[in-house]
Amino acid sequence: MTGPAQSVLKAERLAKHFGGLVALEDLELEVRENEILGLIGPNGSGKTTFFNVVTGIYGADQGRVTFHGNDITNASAQAVYRAGIARTFQRSRLMLELSIFDNIMVGNHKRLNQALWFNLIGRGAFRRQFEESFEQARALVQTFDPPLADRMFEAVAGFPMIDRRRIEICRALISHPKLLLLDEPSAGMTHEETTELMDDILEVRNRFQDLTIIIIEHEMGVIERITSRCVVLNFGRKICEGSYKEVAEDRLVQEAYLGIG
Amino acid sequence: MDAGLLSQYVMNGLMLGMMYALVAVGFTLFFGVLDVINFSHGDVLMVGAFTGLATYIGLSELGVAWPVLQVGAVVLAATVCMALLGALIARYLVLPLKSAPALNTLLITLMLGTVLRESIRLFYPEGANPKPFPALLPTDAYRIGNFNLRVDNLLMLLAGLLVIVGVHLVINRTKLGLAIRAVAQDEETAKTMGINFTLIVLVTFAIGSALAAFAGIMNGLYYNEINFGTGLLLGVIGFSSAIIGGLGNIYGAILGGFIFATLQTLGAVALPFASAYKDVFAFGVVILIMAWRPTGLIGEKVSERV
Amino acid sequence: MEQPSPARATLLPGILGVAAATVYLILILSVESQTGIALLLAGGAVVILAAAKLGALESMRRSFLVSERRMDLVVVAALLLLTAFFYEDHFILLMVATVMTYMVAALGLTVQFGYAGVLNFAGAAFFGIGCYTAAVLTKNTALPHLLVLLAGGLMAALIGALLLLPVLRTRGHYSAVITIAFTLLFKTFLEVNDVLGGPQGLRVDGMRLFGWEFNSNIELGEDLELSFFVNYVLGALVLLAFAFAFVRRLERSWAGLNMDAVRLDETAAACFGYNVARWKITAFMIGNFLAGTAGALYAMMLGFIAPTNFTFGDSLILVSIVLLGGIGNPWGLAVATTIVIVLPEKLQIIQEYRFLLYATLVILILLFRPLGLLPRPLRSYFPGWQSR
Repeated sequence: MTGPAQSVLKAERLAKHFGGLVALEDLELEVRENEILGLIGPNGSGKTTFFNVVTGIYGADQGRVTFHGNDITNASAQAVYRAGIARTFQRSRLMLELSIFDNIMVGNHKRLNQALWFNLIGRGAFRRQFEESFEQARALVQTFDPPLADRMFEAVAGFPMIDRRRIEICRALISHPKLLLLDEPSAGMTHEETTELMDDILEVRNRFQDLTIIIIEHEMGVIERITSRCVVLNFGRKICEGSYKEVAEDRLVQEAYLGIG
Repeated sequence: MDAGLLSQYVMNGLMLGMMYALVAVGFTLFFGVLDVINFSHGDVLMVGAFTGLATYIGLSELGVAWPVLQVGAVVLAATVCMALLGALIARYLVLPLKSAPALNTLLITLMLGTVLRESIRLFYPEGANPKPFPALLPTDAYRIGNFNLRVDNLLMLLAGLLVIVGVHLVINRTKLGLAIRAVAQDEETAKTMGINFTLIVLVTFAIGSALAAFAGIMNGLYYNEINFGTGLLLGVIGFSSAIIGGLGNIYGAILGGFIFATLQTLGAVALPFASAYKDVFAFGVVILIMAWRPTGLIGEKVSERV
Repeated sequence: MEQPSPARATLLPGILGVAAATVYLILILSVESQTGIALLLAGGAVVILAAAKLGALESMRRSFLVSERRMDLVVVAALLLLTAFFYEDHFILLMVATVMTYMVAALGLTVQFGYAGVLNFAGAAFFGIGCYTAAVLTKNTALPHLLVLLAGGLMAALIGALLLLPVLRTRGHYSAVITIAFTLLFKTFLEVNDVLGGPQGLRVDGMRLFGWEFNSNIELGEDLELSFFVNYVLGALVLLAFAFAFVRRLERSWAGLNMDAVRLDETAAACFGYNVARWKITAFMIGNFLAGTAGALYAMMLGFIAPTNFTFGDSLILVSIVLLGGIGNPWGLAVATTIVIVLPEKLQIIQEYRFLLYATLVILILLFRPLGLLPRPLRSYFPGWQSR
């Protein structure tokens, strides 16, 4: 057996306020390599805010975030992406008028040649990169839903929510990130669709050997099934940590969710 | 520069500042409530001025000569008509585009501004030429050294101040103002709390447009002249003022208006060779302020949920 | 193995459509009487509605999509035919060349607004910068005119960059305010500066390319004399072809995708590493370069420019063209530019009302058909490409 798994992402004493509102307070969190960590808590407990701080959309008011040992606190969103962190959004943020392929290529930004000369004059080389990227994108979409892979050049607006969530996850995965942040991927889905989606996520995780995932979810069935560990937030603070079973039985957690005194 | 000339400049700056502030407050109300940039606002001001002029002409035909009645009627007609126009704009142009990209609303209101402007130019009798605006306020002046303190300017400043205070009171002390602020903060929650969203939007647009009409009358009384093209520049100035103050913030709008007037006055003093340069100077500084403080000096309202 | 029949079948509707449009255009341009024009317009509207109902428009659209290269050539041929038909008519040729130069400027605006979402209400001002650059350079320097065209474009791009740089990291309405302010001040600035001709304007030398004088009529044999405007039409056509091809290729690349991404969702784009500011300023500069180059050619053709050509209303006309045609669709742009420029020239009563008319049309379009006359199709990086 190898030694203890490497720390991929570590948040220390992380705090974020919006005026008088405390969104995150004294947050300590660590994710290890290849883990699937569940981030749960009642509405407004700071889960999405945590993602937003990590990905550079908000700055941290206090504390530190390190990624593979490098300090990324208050790094720009672009720098965080280049370092290897990709995400999905709570309110699906796909570009509806663009095709599936276009949307996924947005996620592929750092691996594509953006120079104007390459794009306008060097068409031969561009075509090769285009075809390569197409194959990669299609293979990825195939993992989630083979019929979808035949419709790569259709506008996303014409697809139902479950397909859009899949496409959004593909967009996050296409650049081979080391850390994937999933924000309520199963929102708006039926039970069967959710199970399918989780199967696909697990399959993808097996294919990308060095992928670590943090998943925000409200569906406890998902958390129970795919996560190895959970962190529970309430009012911006961590109130519990452990396996799903341990966390579900914790009194503080039950209080937070159900308000039982 | 002697004290008289200085006082002249100061008075001019105050008058302009007041007008710009009134226009800017309108822009900021529209943005605050509906996240909307209403580029027809300046032209609504202009139409308000023309409405006032038409009212005056109508009254004169009827033989009404009492100045107080004239002023009252002109202001009333302009503000009420523009309030209605504002509500119509909101109802038929802005609200239907609520789910479209924000830039579409900007475009549609910009085009509407052109429609208003061209309509006056084409259809108002001799609308293409500047029209004299009657001096409805007492034109006496007190001489203080070299400086001519005109009663009408003083009255307008006072009136403008009262209007601004009035707006402040309405927004902060009345139930209507509370509803407006609620909608501006969070439309969904406001609706669930039972606030009639559409009505509040219409009322807000009506209030903003009435303010513009008032500023339009002020403009006419101050320059003794109105023309169909005034609205465009005033609109841009008003909008810039609202931005540098912080879009969505009423006090920012007022501050921005006076800042712009100050810049124009400084520009006029420093670069007297052509009046165009004072505007170039003022806008130049404004662009720098925008670069330095994109969310405004007092702070733009944050509207995006990630 | 070649399969001629299906290919020719898809090409046919397109060719017929372009032929019909060319004939119609020739008619409209030739007829002088106002009632004649009105009848033609009404007739044209009826024919188009009928064509739409019968699916003819759809087949034409497919021709353009599938046989793109060939349709390009068909359109160029049609334009050359049109030019040949009016070979003596100065006025009509001037109009044709004007439409083409305006189209180049409108293509520039499409890149800025249609792709990258950067509002530019100073299109006419940047066009004007190109005009004045050409005027100043041709009068005071011996710079070859091809470089003068380039200089017009570069000047517009540069000044545009200076204007936008301070507000790059802000939201859309900032560029709107700044460009409106710029347009308003541009005209007044020109009027108070006698160096640039003041309100009376400036003369501009005619174009001279490799010894060929654009301002002299072309003589073919003893009997045939072509209007000198033919030179400018051909010059504008070359410029337009370049601009069209350039903009189309831009859209069909990662660069085009990046501009769309920045327009559609800046925050998400940032989360995927986009340097949002870079793409906005790139689009803005490219667009202004096109407008400035078009302006330089236009100035040399007109021979004379004055501040009254570059008002806010003119900028709004450019914006209207982009919106009416179909944001982001170059062919829609062609149709819209032709309509917007030619209509007031032929139907005299509209001249005075054109700002009002176009503003109202745009309002209607935004309310009822926001995608414009010819909505932009989905991005197709290599038309006709099939994956294995």
